[in-house]
Formats: sequence, structure tokens, C-alpha cells
Amino acid sequence: MRQILHVFRKDVRRYWREAAVSMALLFVHGWNEVHSWYHEKPLEIWGFFASRFLSGLVIALVPIAWAFLFVRVIHAEPLVGDRQFWVTRPYEWKKLLAAKLLYALVFINIPMLVLQVYLLAKAGFNPLTYAFGLVWMQGLIAVSFLLPVAAVAVVTSSVIQVLLTTLVIAVYLIGMAVLSSQIPSSSFSFWVDGLQADIFIGAALAIVFLQYARRDTLKSRWLIGGLGVAIFLILVATPYRTLVEHEYPRTEAASPMQLTLLPGGASGEGPLPSRENDAEIQLPLSLSGIAPGTMVQVKGVLVEIEGPDGLRWDPGWNSPGLFLFPDAKATQIAFKLPKRMFERIRDLPVRIRLSFAFTLFRDTNQRAFVVPAGEFAMPGVGLCTTEGGYRQTIHCRVPLRRPTSLLVSADMSASTCPIAKGDLPADPGQMARNWTSSGDSDPAELGISPIQTVDFYLNYSNPSSQQIQPGICPASSLVLSNPKAVASNRTAVELDGVRVGDYQLKPVEIGGYGFAIRH
Amino acid sequence: MNNAIRTENLVKRFRKVEALSGLDLTVPEGSIYAFVGPNGAGKTTAIKILMNIVGATRGRAEVLGLDSMQLAGRHFASIGYVSENQELPEWMRVDAFLAYLRPFYLTWDRTLENDLVSQFDLPLDRKLKDLSRGMRMKAALAGALAFHPKLMVLDEPFTGLDPLVRDELIQGLLERAEESTIFISSHDLAEVESFASHVGYLERGQLRFSEELTTLVDRFREVELTFDSPPALPARLPDTWMQLNSSAAVVRFVESRFDAEKTATEILRVFGETRGSAFAPMTLRSIFLTMAKDGTKLRAGRSDS
Repeated sequence: MRQILHVFRKDVRRYWREAAVSMALLFVHGWNEVHSWYHEKPLEIWGFFASRFLSGLVIALVPIAWAFLFVRVIHAEPLVGDRQFWVTRPYEWKKLLAAKLLYALVFINIPMLVLQVYLLAKAGFNPLTYAFGLVWMQGLIAVSFLLPVAAVAVVTSSVIQVLLTTLVIAVYLIGMAVLSSQIPSSSFSFWVDGLQADIFIGAALAIVFLQYARRDTLKSRWLIGGLGVAIFLILVATPYRTLVEHEYPRTEAASPMQLTLLPGGASGEGPLPSRENDAEIQLPLSLSGIAPGTMVQVKGVLVEIEGPDGLRWDPGWNSPGLFLFPDAKATQIAFKLPKRMFERIRDLPVRIRLSFAFTLFRDTNQRAFVVPAGEFAMPGVGLCTTEGGYRQTIHCRVPLRRPTSLLVSADMSASTCPIAKGDLPADPGQMARNWTSSGDSDPAELGISPIQTVDFYLNYSNPSSQQIQPGICPASSLVLSNPKAVASNRTAVELDGVRVGDYQLKPVEIGGYGFAIRH
Repeated sequence: MNNAIRTENLVKRFRKVEALSGLDLTVPEGSIYAFVGPNGAGKTTAIKILMNIVGATRGRAEVLGLDSMQLAGRHFASIGYVSENQELPEWMRVDAFLAYLRPFYLTWDRTLENDLVSQFDLPLDRKLKDLSRGMRMKAALAGALAFHPKLMVLDEPFTGLDPLVRDELIQGLLERAEESTIFISSHDLAEVESFASHVGYLERGQLRFSEELTTLVDRFREVELTFDSPPALPARLPDTWMQLNSSAAVVRFVESRFDAEKTATEILRVFGETRGSAFAPMTLRSIFLTMAKDGTKLRAGRSDS
């Protein structure tokens, strides 16, 4: 322990400036964070963007300052090279490593923890209630941020080398992202992401320990190269389709939803503009069969097209992020068809097979909630308000993490929000819903701030003016519930004789933004 | 006598370059061992292997009875290592540097530290980066001597230092020589000749000789033979004769295994009767140069063939 403290004290003396800068940035970030919760005064447009830019800059600078600090502290006893004075002194590697970790704890984790306690208290939450979550957040920062920084620092001996290594890693990650976008079904790969993360953490730990125990830089650098190759191989060799089919078996019982194709518009004229590489197709589907008290989250959609002469197109699974409720009458599936394929089949009757990988949820724990005026506590969420900012939202400050699964529903016809003279209220029974869900149930999310902001958008299109009308005001009634997943399955819809030209979304001519349905 | 350092068939390769080719070295405890050889001979590589800074490709090295590959942490509490190219924590002041080292060593001697600071005239309030090269070496040496190491390993400590500083360093070393084994590398024999007890000569990764300085000096002689008429030089000379040359009726060579009786017998066998003979002792520098030239000639011969 004596040696740990001795080395730690030396690093404190050496890097007090870097530590002071990182803590100052953290303080500024905390100040910004508190101000971002409230929309007290509408800012001028330039003021709004300036404040967003500055707060974004500070958010980016805090981890950069931490990384710089930690790299410098590790480089104080460099592990690369054969000229370091410390390697022939009575340093014990475990104690040296412990001293560096102690430094990170004292100058990165503890200031962050102090800020988090302050932010929780400032946001109206008792920090003691969230002690475990706060510790969890420290662990997340350590594993997902400090560990990779340490892994780079232990195989380099200068900040320039760290920057070059970071650049190489960034280029690699961009390359992997581009490659991933070209591999069918790879976007629907939660399991692969988890495996890659586990391998990454394991390799980073191995590199740090190998360097401190043996200073075998060559082996450590090979390990980094091997990690890159392993992640690449996992990306390209994973049988994504098989995994989807395994995770979402074909349903034996009747599908919990029935989908049929609705007619499209008239066929368009002429070829696609030359600047377009793809044709955007949108298939409108009528929806029925979802039992009351249940809902369906469509996690993956596979569109397969078979045309005459053995023509076949299959882009793999995609994640559409569709939520289907019992009272929904229709939905739509959008996809991009390569221009050449589209030109060949636009007016030919083709067979389309739509496969859906979905999770069926049962609504549980329904409770009524009347929105109070001012700030109010929303059960299972946090402290919320309907005032300030955008009036059609419930703006909430949530401690540590967003709700795992929370459905907020409201009958818009019973909205207490005032409507403009001449406007009609919402149709009776017109529901607005906002479903917040995440795949994990961890105690906290990764980040510096323990306060997450969640906005529940509950509004409707005014039947007379077609304007978006706020649906939630003080005294509005909500129904809160916690949908629980009950089954994950796969179902398919066969569509015969479809002319994709009837379902093409035409690019908007002016400016090139957005799409308009062609009639 | 135990050995402070011992290596067996030590080999180090850097890709295709062989820096050490089967080094067998023995450094007796209590000796002041001068590890000499030209630049690039492999001295620093050998020392880095001994200090477990780099690993050997093959072979084995022992330092204070411990496999050098096991040397770590606490073992360095009894080893002082100073190198010309060591990167010191240059942001530290001299006093902070010494204060920082202190707690690492149970045997740190504050009185000795103060003596060394005083003897080396170290400016305690200056940062290491602001010191001259000589002062930096003195600070490093003070930090390596003040804990009474059993073994001092110095890699080219005098390179580039002015004679005054060099003498101060040597003086500082010698005053503590009784309690330590000192292993010191140098490419300049004159630096170490005056105080070394043993000497090893490394060339191209191979140890050409390693022995006590007195026996080394004793066994080398410059031999000058005079004849009545120019003698016929035999095709094959004894292996121990080096640098043989002749001019008119005089033959000169270096005998590397001088023994008055045996050398005289060998001369008689090779040349027959001589008119006169003289056997002059050699300086270490002359021996060193003879060995170096002989090695060059041998290599040239090898490459020619």
C-alpha cells in the first residue's frame, strides 16, 4: 500500500494541472446539465444554437480531458521501450497498476460521482436511494471508457502515438460500419454486438495486464491486431439469418396480427432520376387481429421479391422499429429497391414475401394518472412537467435510466388542452401513445449525468386545421402501464401480383428532401 | 568465490542481426568488472538482458543467483543500474528525485545520500531536465549508490563527460567499491583501466577474453626479436602470436600467452637462434587495440574466403 500511495502522490504532484482542467470541465458540464433541464426563457435562435454548441463542446471535452489525463498518468511510467528508469527500480507491477487505478478513481470516478450526487439532489431525487446505480455507472465508465483508454496507453509511449493509434482505430471502425451496412441482416445483430463487446473487454483487460506484468509490447500489439481481425471475422462470418430464425421461431399458433396489402397509387411514368440509386417503396398494410391488452413490437422485417424468369431480390433482415396496437387499422413497410431492379420489375406483377420477427407484449400494471399542474412525480418515471418547451410533450427528468418498458396512453378526445377557435376536438376514442422501452434492465445507463431526460409526445392532428395539437395539459388523464414481453416469433405474409411501381415514393423535386406519395 | 553475474550461451537476435552470439560471461562477486568493446559490440544489449529490460533469444543469464528473466520489483532493491541512455523523470528536481527514490529502498542511507550530493556537488533545487549531461549522470549515480546495492551495473556512464566529471564519478564509485560488485561497460579502455579488477572484451557479440586485469597484463608482451640476417618467416605461427611483422633483421609480434620459459622455447623452435630478444609489457589500451585489429583481420580473412 505504501508504494501505491507513493506513486499516486507523485502522479498527483506531476499532473495537477491536467486534473484541474478535467475537473473544471466536469463542473461546467454539471452547470450546463442543470440548465438544460429547464426551459425557463425561450432563447433567441442564435443564443439557442450557441448554448447547444457550447454544451455539446463541453460534453465532448470532458471525456477527452479524462482520456488525456489517464494517458499521461500511465505514460508517467511508460510500458513501451527499454530506456525507462523505473523498470530497474523496485517497482512492483501490481502496485504500479493499482496506483494508476487509484489515480483514475480519485480524479475521474470520484469527481464524477460527486457531480452525480449533486445532480440527483438538484433534480429532486435522493442520491442515497440510487447508490447502487451510481456505483454501476462508475463501473460502466471504467469498462467502456477508461479500459480502452488504458489499453491504448499501455502500448504507446507518447500522446502523439496515442492520437495516431486512435486515428487508426477510428478508420477501422468506420470501415467496419461501412462493411456492416453491406452485409445483409447484420443490422439485426444484437447477439453479435454483445459477443464483440465481450471479446473487446477481454482483450483490453489482457493487454493492460500483459503490459504491466511483462511489458511485452509486441505481443500486446499483436493482441490488438488479433482483436481487430476477430471482430471482422465475427462480423462477416456470423449466420445472421439463422440466428434470427432461432431467436424468432415460426409461430405454431395463429399469428397475433393479420396483415393484408392495401392498394397503391397509379403507376408512375418514366425512369428514376439519375441521381437516385434506389427507389423508395412503401407498402401500406391493413392491420387487424391484435388482441386487446396486447401489443406487438416488430423488431425485424425481411422483404423478399420473386419476379418472372427466376428474378429474386432479398436484402436480409432490417429493423423497422414498428409498434402495433390493437386499435391500429393500418401500418406500412418501407424499403429501398436498387434502381436497376426497380426499373426491371416496376410494372411487372411480382410475388413479395414479408417476414416479421416480432415480440408480443401483454399490457400489465395499468393505472390511471391525472396530470397535475407544474412539476409532478410520474410513477415509475421521475419528475415531469408539461410546461415550458414544447407543450405537446411531458418532459421528465429520470434518475439513472429510462424506463425499461413504459406505455403512456391518453384519449385525445378527453384532452384538457385548449383548442383554437374554430378547431374541432379529436375524434372520440382517438388514442395517443408513447412507448418507451429498452432491451436491458441494468440499474443505470452509460453516461456522465445520472439524469436522463425523457419526453413523452402525446398529440394529435387536429381534424379541422390538420395542425399538430398538444394533447396533454394539466388535468389530462393518462393511463400508464408496463408492457411485458410474452413471446418472440416470426410470421410471414405472401403478397402475389404486386406491381412495385404502384408503391413507389417519389422523390420531392425541390431541394430533394422528403418524399411524397405518387398518385 | 560466488559470481554476481553469469551468462551461458546468451544469444540475442534483432530480426536478422545477431547482437549477441553465445555470450559466456562470469563476473565474480566483489570485482570491478570492465565490460569493454567497440561501439555496436553488444554491450548494452547484454546489460539489458541482465537487467531483464529485454529478453534473450536463447541462453541463460543469472544475476545475484537469480535467473535474469525473473528479475523484477523487489530484486532491484539490491541492484543499482545507471545507463547513459536511461530516461529519468526529468520534470523532477534533484531533491525530489532522491526523495522519490528513498521509500523504495529499505537500505536507503540518508547520510550517504547527503555525502553523495555534497561530493557530486548536485544542485538540489534544479530540475533534472535543466542539468548538464554530467550532472544528470551524477544524480542518477547518487540515486543508485545511496541504498548500498550489492551490484552496480553501469552502462557507458562516462560517455561524453569531461575528465573532471568522469574522475568525480569514478571517485564516487570507488569509495563504495568494497561493498558492491561493479559491472561497468565502456568502449574506452582508458576510462576503466585505472580501477577495474577484471576485464572482458566483447566484439561482434562474442567475448574475446575475460579475466583479471593483472593476469591479462601479465600474459601480453610485445616481443621484438633481432637476427643477424632477415629470418625466413614460417608459414604457420603459434596461435598465441599476434600482429607479427618484420623489417630487415627485426621481427615484432604480440605474445598473448607470455611465459618467459615457454615463449623463449617457442621462439627457438620457430626461428632458431636470435641475436637478441626483448619482451615489453603492454598497456591495456595496446592489448585492446591488438585484439581489435586481430579480430578485424580475422573477419577480413573470413570474408575473403
